[in-house]
Amino acid sequence: MTMYTVNLAGDTASTTATRLLKDLLDQAVADAVLVSAENPWSRLPMPTVFTDSANMDRVVPLAPSAAVSYARQASLLVREPLDKTVALVLKPCEVRAFIELAKLNQCSLDHAILVSMDCPGRLENKDYLALAAEKQNLGEAFPSDLSFQEKLTATCLSCNAFIPDSADLQFCVTGMDGQLGVKAGTAKGQDIAARLNLSKIEEPRGRAEALSQLAEKRKQRKTVLFEETASTLKSVEGFQTYISRCINCYNCRAACPVCYCRECVFLTDVFAYPPDMILERAKRRGQVKMPMDTTMFHMTRLSHIAHACVGCGQCTSVCPSDIPVADLFRTVAEKTQSYFGYMPGRDVLEPIPQLAAKKGQRQE
Amino acid sequence: MSETETVTQSYKPRIVALVCNWCTYTAADLAGTSRLSYPAEIRMIRLMCTGMIDQKYILKAFLDGADGVFIGGCHPGDCHYLDGNLKAERRIGGTRNLIEQFGFDPDRLKLQWIGASEGPEFQHHMTEFVERIAAMGPSQVRDRMIL
Repeated sequence: MTMYTVNLAGDTASTTATRLLKDLLDQAVADAVLVSAENPWSRLPMPTVFTDSANMDRVVPLAPSAAVSYARQASLLVREPLDKTVALVLKPCEVRAFIELAKLNQCSLDHAILVSMDCPGRLENKDYLALAAEKQNLGEAFPSDLSFQEKLTATCLSCNAFIPDSADLQFCVTGMDGQLGVKAGTAKGQDIAARLNLSKIEEPRGRAEALSQLAEKRKQRKTVLFEETASTLKSVEGFQTYISRCINCYNCRAACPVCYCRECVFLTDVFAYPPDMILERAKRRGQVKMPMDTTMFHMTRLSHIAHACVGCGQCTSVCPSDIPVADLFRTVAEKTQSYFGYMPGRDVLEPIPQLAAKKGQRQE
Repeated sequence: MSETETVTQSYKPRIVALVCNWCTYTAADLAGTSRLSYPAEIRMIRLMCTGMIDQKYILKAFLDGADGVFIGGCHPGDCHYLDGNLKAERRIGGTRNLIEQFGFDPDRLKLQWIGASEGPEFQHHMTEFVERIAAMGPSQVRDRMIL
């Protein structure tokens, strides 16, 4: 993969990356940019759309935050054919989710430029705001001040998929000897790098080492987490205990970037029981905990999206009962994805496994 | 409450069979008209195609206390809707992989191709499945409060 460079020249990686994004607009490579930005009312960055580079003062593309999954917001900008090009600055998990949404016909890659970065990880929203009160430039801290990484979400701390291989352009910040690298992962990306007149470089030798060390550390943590979670889930008692505090608010479903149904079956009459049915169930089983079908909800959601789970962790972030939903989903997803030999977001042309009517994979 | 009950005379497996209209259900009909009896523990539900089986039907059966779920469809290549049964194969394979992670024996979920003319085969597969489930003992979910 070709790497290009932009010299930081005293700026931070963040401001240099922002300059590049402004160039996309100024040089008419893109008509709009979706990127993380603060606004006059909030230090918590939000996905923000810009059509004029003059307004991009508070853009923080490398901020360790994702207040919400940007993948769904990004898909809204390219969900119909349009005669404009939109640059979408997404974290690696959000890129993968976006590609999965494209496979589900929720959006298209045709008019999108996928821009991503070596992921800094993210903090929970309230942790970000608390830290931002102490650190004035938290949005620009990556990679010079990595102390925020002690407070990353549990999911990020065990994520080893932080390099966005499928993105058109990737901001390379780790192990770059004071430069901002830009990798062009696709032909589209190479074309843009040429239009922006970026000069090619050899990848600095320290980068691969730095990345693989971090990946190894995260992978070890992930392995332990998945083993612990898997052993908890392997019994009726275990699963019930895991989700016992769930109140069926469906926040996790709403926050999930790949849970895309406009009308979720759990909100339809299928699960709207008449009173007689509820009382009958109470009689047969001895008792019925309300709200009903909590286990059914999580198991169904797992069966529907485990193949596409990108491990973004938003489900845990939004759970009002502090259930580690992401640990449940990531653990199961790894097994499901391994069963199908599938990696979500790897390639938009790779078919969704349940719909790939191949005779190859026969049941034993 | 003991973890597993020994198989006693009083344990009758509860099996839900999701069968496709064009092949397996027709085979069941043929078994019936041929007076080939099969176990009464089977509760059959007719669908148009195994390809329309959402994984949640299987999950609901198990969570409601089914001891086994049998899925019957057309042989590959013979699906009335061309490739519905191939999708079912992948989906049900995935479901077996899933339920195993929650402590269910994946052999409690079986996918079997049974053609429309295969009345005797239908009787055979049903009988064999019921015997297998009976030997496995009741589902760990049975008579247990499920949230």
